[in-house]
Amino acid sequence: MSLLASVASHGDRPGRRAPPSAYARGKVRHAAASRRQDLGDDSQAWLRALRASPAVRDPALVELHALLMRGARHELARRRASLAGLSRDEIGDLATQAADDALIAILAKLDTFRGASRFTTWAYKFVLLEAGVKARRRAWQGREIVLDADAWPLLADASPGAHQTVEDQEVLRALRDAVRERLTPHQRDVFVALALNGVPVDVLAERLATTRGALYKTLHDARRKLRAALADAGYGFGPHDDETGGWT
Amino acid sequence: MSSDHRDQIARLLGPDRPEVTCEECFELLDQYVELELAGADADARLPGMREHLAGCPACDDDHASLRDLVAETM
Repeated sequence: MSLLASVASHGDRPGRRAPPSAYARGKVRHAAASRRQDLGDDSQAWLRALRASPAVRDPALVELHALLMRGARHELARRRASLAGLSRDEIGDLATQAADDALIAILAKLDTFRGASRFTTWAYKFVLLEAGVKARRRAWQGREIVLDADAWPLLADASPGAHQTVEDQEVLRALRDAVRERLTPHQRDVFVALALNGVPVDVLAERLATTRGALYKTLHDARRKLRAALADAGYGFGPHDDETGGWT
Repeated sequence: MSSDHRDQIARLLGPDRPEVTCEECFELLDQYVELELAGADADARLPGMREHLAGCPACDDDHASLRDLVAETM
C-alpha cells in the first residue's frame, strides 16, 4: 500500500522500508501538479484540503509531504557533522522516513491544530522532531552509554586544579556526594547520562524503552534534589518553589 | 566560587524557575517561534518555555531548528 493510500484510508503506519509507490511512479505527483493548489501559508485552506474528498486531498497530501521533506532536509543538514558516516542515499532515506512519519502524526493530530501559528509552522515542528530523533539515534548507533558518575572528570576529580578555588572543590564534592546519596539509582543513571555525559535524551529513551518526557521528568526531579542538597550545605542553588514542583 | 564553575554547575542543575514539560514545550513550540520572529515577548506570553529550553538540550535543538527554518521561509 502506498503512503498516500495508507493515510487516506487511515490505515496502519506503512512499512518503514516500503517506498511510497504512488510518488515513485509519478502518478499522484503528476495529478498534483496538474491541479496545483499552492496552499502556501493559508492555514484554513490546508485544513479544508486535508479534510476534503480524495480529489482535493491527495494533491494536498503530496504538497504537505514535499513541505515535510524540505523540513527533514533542513534538519539533517544541520546535523551533517554527526552524520558524516552516512551516504547521500542513507541521508535521503532518513529524510523520507522522517517526512513519512511526520505526515502520519500530523494527520492523526489534525483536529488539535488550533491556529495559534501558521499551519506550515505547526507541521514543520513534527518533521523536525522526527528527523532530529532519527539523526541523534543514528549518530549514537552502536555507542556505549556510560552511567558511572565517577567517569565524569568534574565530579571524579575534586583535587586542587590550576583554576579551582577551595570553594569550587567543596561544591564539587558536595554535588558528587549528593548524586551518590540523594538520588535514587534510576535518577542517578538518568542524571549521569543526560547531564554529565551529554547522552541525547532520545537516545537514552530508546535504550531504556521510555519517552523523552518521562526521562526529562526524572532529570527534573533529580536536579531538584541536588539543588536542595547544595542549598542545605550552604552553597546556594536553591530549589524550585515546592508548591509547583518546578513546573509551570 | 569562580564564575566558570558556578555556570557549569548551574547548567547541570538546570533552570531555577518553573518550566513546562517536554510535551507542553512541543505543543507550544510553533506559537513560541512565531512570537519570537514577530518580535513579540514570547517569554511573557508563554511562561516556562525559556526555562525549559535552557534545561532540555533536545527541545532547545528542536526550537533552534524550527526558528531557523521558519525564518528562512517567511
